[in-house]
Amino acid sequence: MLLEIKNLYVKYGNIEALHGISFNVDKGEIVTLIGANGAGKTTTLHTITRVPPPEGPKVTQGDILYKGQSILGVEAHKVVQDLHIALSPEGRHIFGNLTVEENLQLATYARNDHDTIQEDFKRVYDLFPRLYERRKQRSESLSGGEQQMLSVGRSLMTGADFIMLDEPSMGLAPLLMYDMFRALKELNSQGMTLLLIEQNARIALQFAHRGYVLDTGAIVASGNAKELMNNPDVKKAYLGG
Amino acid sequence: MLASIIQNLFNAFQWGSFYSLIALGYTLVYGVLRLINFAHGDIFMVGAYIAFFIATAILGMAMSLPGWMVLAMVIPATMILTALVGVSLERIAYRPLRRKGAHRLYVVITALMCGLVLENGNLALLGASRKSFPELVDKVVYSIGDVSMTNLKIGVVLSAVLVFIFLQFIVTKTKIGMAMRAISYDKFAVPLMGIPIDTVIVFTFILGSSFAGLAGLLFALSYPILDPYMGAMVGWKAFIAAVVGGIGDIRGAFLGGFLLGFVEILVVAVFPSTYRDLIAFAILMVILCIKPTGMFGVAGTTKI
Repeated sequence: MLLEIKNLYVKYGNIEALHGISFNVDKGEIVTLIGANGAGKTTTLHTITRVPPPEGPKVTQGDILYKGQSILGVEAHKVVQDLHIALSPEGRHIFGNLTVEENLQLATYARNDHDTIQEDFKRVYDLFPRLYERRKQRSESLSGGEQQMLSVGRSLMTGADFIMLDEPSMGLAPLLMYDMFRALKELNSQGMTLLLIEQNARIALQFAHRGYVLDTGAIVASGNAKELMNNPDVKKAYLGG
Repeated sequence: MLASIIQNLFNAFQWGSFYSLIALGYTLVYGVLRLINFAHGDIFMVGAYIAFFIATAILGMAMSLPGWMVLAMVIPATMILTALVGVSLERIAYRPLRRKGAHRLYVVITALMCGLVLENGNLALLGASRKSFPELVDKVVYSIGDVSMTNLKIGVVLSAVLVFIFLQFIVTKTKIGMAMRAISYDKFAVPLMGIPIDTVIVFTFILGSSFAGLAGLLFALSYPILDPYMGAMVGWKAFIAAVVGGIGDIRGAFLGGFLLGFVEILVVAVFPSTYRDLIAFAILMVILCIKPTGMFGVAGTTKI
């Protein structure tokens, strides 16, 4: 198992946001966490990235294992550098004052494998040709869809082999949304493991292998994507009946 | 008439260079941490004293060394040691507050107190008597018509320009410089790129403090009387220069420093010198009234 979340309890300040959740992700999978606003999806990802308090959540119980090792003591930048786990955060968080190319370059900060970096540049530009066209532009001038591509591209450039995506469909027109998910599927077919958070459960379950349903800090359903899509409770609550 | 204008312009360049060098430190730290490091003026003072001690120590050991050779040793040593002081300040005073998520107000107050600690620590350790800086460079006066400039003044202006070019290079061409710009835009996403934020912050303090150290050394060479409060007024003025330029922006700090130098020299050329600060700051206030974000500031978005 690549990632194993074991009975995780998490607090923001004095408020408990996750009440003992457990799930796992295997190598090569696309796993999705679906759930409503405030269910604890983003908190889960921020816990895995090890963003320290006060900004990040505090683990009070349970463990996060990556390749069998606990990562609770690992610093945030080491999660990326050493474990090669990347997060494309909600709201994209691109560096708007840098050009597209600088954004991608900055993501290679901790890497010195020059040749592979060049290959990764090519890989990102092949996946998102729009980014290549706009590589010299300040990234705040990009459209929402392009910013999302940049956010995913940046995750790739860190040298990650496991990428977590927080609401990659947010704010995108349906057509662009499908383009984005096709690109993610393409990445997955190249061997990338993905953990996907979505409010748009329909599209997430369409592209994922397996899914978990998170509700107010607890996992209430899980299974392979097809099963979940046909689960009457899930249908009613998240797929609009 | 023309000669006196050129003479005044040149003096303004030299005077503005000190402000620029110090203002760069304010602006760098602000860009990365959103912190106005009010101790920075006193870092400048510490730089001057460090230069004083190193210079007298070297001269004490080897009297016969030529001045330029001593200077060649004093410059890097002063910059390194002053950088060390700046980094220690960050480590001891600012980082613990950052870790606890303290409100910015408390960090600014801490910075103010750090400045006072540096001033009064100096006073307690070295006493109230002023130190006079040894003369390291033989003054050479170049005269072109009625305009005269000294090698030292040219050196001061040249240093400021070189520092600016160096900084531009760092910020636009290197990964750590890009990381500094990235932090100023979106701090949250920086560790997600595998970048240790603390390293970037320490690097920023190294840059800012070493430039302040250089400014302290150059100031001491130009006006060789040192006292513990020498950094207070110059520091405030450099801070104002950075704000007028648009705090967080490197060009803004650089040009703001020169602007302040010009305004001061201009005022003195026309009015009695006691009017200098009054009129100079009144002019700067007018500039800020017209453009509150400073010359290069774009409110909240593009910093550094």
